[in-house]
Amino acid sequence: MMTPTTDLLGKPLNEQEQEMLAVYETLKRLVARDDLPPCAARNLRQALASLWQATNDLGLQFEQLYEYGV
Amino acid sequence: MPYPDFWNPKHEALPREELQALQLLKLRRLCEWAYATTPFHRRKFDEAGFRPEHIQTFDDLRRIPFMTREEWMASLQEKPLFGDTLATDPTNAIRYHLTSGTSGRTPIRVLDGTKDWDWISEMWCYGLWGFGIRPEDSVYFAFGYGSFIGFWGAHYACEKIGALVVPGGAQTTESRIKQIVELGVTTVASTPTYALHLWQKAREMGIDLATQSKVNKVILSGEPAGSIPAVKRQLEEAWGAQCGDTAGMTEIGTIMIFECSHHSGGTHIIEDHFIEEVLDPNSAEPVGYGELGERVVTSFGRGFIPLIRYRTRDMVMKVPASTCTCGRTWDLYSGGIRGRWDDMKLIRGTNVYPSAVEAIIREYPAIDEFQIYIWRKDEIQDEIDIKLEIKPGFEHTWPELQTRLAKDLAEAHEGLRFNVVRMDYGTLPRFELKARRMTDARPVARY
Repeated sequence: MMTPTTDLLGKPLNEQEQEMLAVYETLKRLVARDDLPPCAARNLRQALASLWQATNDLGLQFEQLYEYGV
Repeated sequence: MPYPDFWNPKHEALPREELQALQLLKLRRLCEWAYATTPFHRRKFDEAGFRPEHIQTFDDLRRIPFMTREEWMASLQEKPLFGDTLATDPTNAIRYHLTSGTSGRTPIRVLDGTKDWDWISEMWCYGLWGFGIRPEDSVYFAFGYGSFIGFWGAHYACEKIGALVVPGGAQTTESRIKQIVELGVTTVASTPTYALHLWQKAREMGIDLATQSKVNKVILSGEPAGSIPAVKRQLEEAWGAQCGDTAGMTEIGTIMIFECSHHSGGTHIIEDHFIEEVLDPNSAEPVGYGELGERVVTSFGRGFIPLIRYRTRDMVMKVPASTCTCGRTWDLYSGGIRGRWDDMKLIRGTNVYPSAVEAIIREYPAIDEFQIYIWRKDEIQDEIDIKLEIKPGFEHTWPELQTRLAKDLAEAHEGLRFNVVRMDYGTLPRFELKARRMTDARPVARY
């Protein structure tokens, strides 16, 4: 999936926002895997929950993550 | 680099037209989510002829049906444990909390997923950072850490901010005071009533918290008193510290308003995560700035149990963001939560509905008549008495009844202590028409 280039209000993302969103998308891809050991699977979910806060606070995404168990 | 004043500078100073555009976008997505996943909301939307795609402008918010506590309770009772309000499988939850209900023993039960639970502390971060909590602070939580949501989110928010957290937990007031002084904490989180109790107990121990502790901030929550000027002044003098009010509710899991370090006399609404409407409680029409009305909240946080246009029955008065000098563009509630439009009472941070108390009392056939009497002890501590009469012939049941009823009432109210008092037979008033079995003898707050 292409990482968006604007925030929810249509403003261009700055460099740090682009990086955050890219990491967020990477985490989503990782937690969707079913071959991770528990130490990775659960900690990545924690990390994804944290990054959801930052990207949501900054208006970069607004979505639910229950399908990822987060 | 010095710390910025705002937790989220991008949104806390967002021009209001952009803020509303953000709220509109989130509202539409929230409605889509609720309609697709939550039988409770799907049913209500269908009954009202509402579809998420009807949300085109901000005024379309008013097309969405209200959600009430009574409907939520009915759903819980019809389909225990959670009714049909869940948007996802309960196995996705990592947290369970509850708040006392409006009828009998059934509480409002809530679940949170991992990101919901983290969001709950995130909202506290907005408030605590805005009040002035920083990584250098050490924060003492005078809180029991039970299934009542209370300060749980604030605890994790302080960890997230990087402050040192001291969980007060199950200790005596004396032990807590000793820790506050010995550890040199800079901040205490407490209900207003308990903050006053801590101060009073410290005086009895020969400790002046204003001069012998390092506390310079007191975070208040759980009772309206945190925004009552007289109480606030008393607390600030007692502790020699700034006091900041916050307010939240179990139904959303966290706070939705906070007092910032500019202390304008109001509490900012976290408007990038909530839509807060203020409506006439009877007509449900919007009221303007400076008018008293009922809080109606839509939360963009907990997706597990979507909360859309939830009628809180809280009494508030919205004022524009410009009332405060901090630079936030978020409106405020002048005087925080000022009271209730229904008969719910807040006793030491716990919601008490007379109907719920009566339902439990009526389980005891030995009780003839009763009265609920709420009063303030030593000008600081709220107490709730159940004055009751035993039916003739049942007098022998009294000692055990007293213990059992106090236990049953406490269990239905997050451990709140009820004083069960026996009255002589025939002394309590009887009612032929609408009964008035509750008296609130606490002083009326002045704003």
